[in-house]
Amino acid sequence: MTDDILDEDRIRDLEARIAQLPREIEPPAGAWTAIKSEIARKGDARIGRAGFWQQPAFLAAAALLLVTGSSAITAIALGRRAPSETAPGVAARDGARPTATPATLAEFTVVENDYISTANRLSAILESEETQLTPETIMKLKESLRVIDAAILEARRALAADPANKQLVEMLSTSYNQKLDLLRRTTEMGRS
Amino acid sequence: MRMVRTAVFLAVAASSSLGAQTKINRGLPLNADGAIRIYNSVGSVRVVGWNRDSVAIRGVLGKGTTLHMGGGGAGMKMFVEGTDERNPAPANIEVSVPARAKVWVKTATADIEVTGVTGSLDLYVVGGRITVNGSPADVNAEAIDGSIRVVGSPGWMRAKSASGDVTLDGSSADVTISTVSGKIDADGTGFDKAKFETVTGSIRFAGSFRRGGLVNFDTHSGSVEVGLSSGSPADFDVVSIAGPITNKLTSTRPAAGRYGRGAELITSSANGGTRVQIRSFKGPISLIRLD
Repeated sequence: MTDDILDEDRIRDLEARIAQLPREIEPPAGAWTAIKSEIARKGDARIGRAGFWQQPAFLAAAALLLVTGSSAITAIALGRRAPSETAPGVAARDGARPTATPATLAEFTVVENDYISTANRLSAILESEETQLTPETIMKLKESLRVIDAAILEARRALAADPANKQLVEMLSTSYNQKLDLLRRTTEMGRS
Repeated sequence: MRMVRTAVFLAVAASSSLGAQTKINRGLPLNADGAIRIYNSVGSVRVVGWNRDSVAIRGVLGKGTTLHMGGGGAGMKMFVEGTDERNPAPANIEVSVPARAKVWVKTATADIEVTGVTGSLDLYVVGGRITVNGSPADVNAEAIDGSIRVVGSPGWMRAKSASGDVTLDGSSADVTISTVSGKIDADGTGFDKAKFETVTGSIRFAGSFRRGGLVNFDTHSGSVEVGLSSGSPADFDVVSIAGPITNKLTSTRPAAGRYGRGAELITSSANGGTRVQIRSFKGPISLIRLD
């Protein structure tokens, strides 16, 4: 199911063909002259009045459509990339679970980037305010973060080997949330 | 920030002696449901609920520390300030507050103990201990490496620590306890909505659930032991990626994991009715019968 999208040979072939393309090309001879005459034929009034497709509202809608479409395509592509290996009965049970946790490694990777960037941002804040905490607290905090990071790494490796395991995705999400929560709490504690 | 607070409070502040330790004994009016905020970095803070519309502060301030306090009937603040911020002298204070007051306490290493308050509690320590006795409407207790112990029946409870242990001895309809490496020990009844999560710490639960509830246990590598009394309703959904599952509560045996590894267990006790999810990466999980 995923091969038609992520065939590595096809990707390599496509990249090779792209590399052979010229970096720039000249317009056909006489093109500019033809364009100028066409503009002159339609008249200044037509040029001054933007078509409906150039109106801000249309452009905004088009941009929205582009973004939405792009996101939908990404979501579809990610969904296709994940093999559907969910065991019978899981869907029914998970249907009652009020969670928006991604179901696969591919979906989780998107969320994970947010986790990582938020954790990095909080870590930077914490580092800049480290003087607010005692060295003992900083040491213990770092130890706790190491514990969480080790758990994340272990679960991440397991998920890489078993990319459709929703339980692992949920565990990984829990660990990331714990890390963010600890960083957030410590940052707030330091601001006494 | 501290400068601003000092400026605001100087008008009503009563400075301690700059010499040796100083005893304090002061009071201010506060509405029965008023709010009070207390900050004391080092030493201890003891908060006691009483049936009066006022606040009384007693205690001993360490050398070079000053107690600032002020506010009105709806809300008041107090904080202990030391001249040496890097190495403040301890202040041990006991604050009597209206039982229904909303209490907020923050410390660094000072221990916090709250007794007999039925209002809301917001308690924060970095490395001190938090102890709550009684049945406040709600408790939010947070520590970095300090321990948290609640004895009683808060209506709502959130307790988080990183390396400190968290203990609940009592009951609560809505509880969340979270640690990184600290132990979680919950002993009680009446749990309706509950969540216990840790990374490497152990989780021990002994008690009963309320029918219709939702209870979650999550661990990475810590052990999870859930002990139920015979009449406690539960529909268990237990998953372990790489750890063992032991079931001494019902006759159902754990099965191989749905993803080809680990173990899973679907079972019910006392005709079910409370959804109990237990997830572990590699920590051992045990279900046991208490009686």
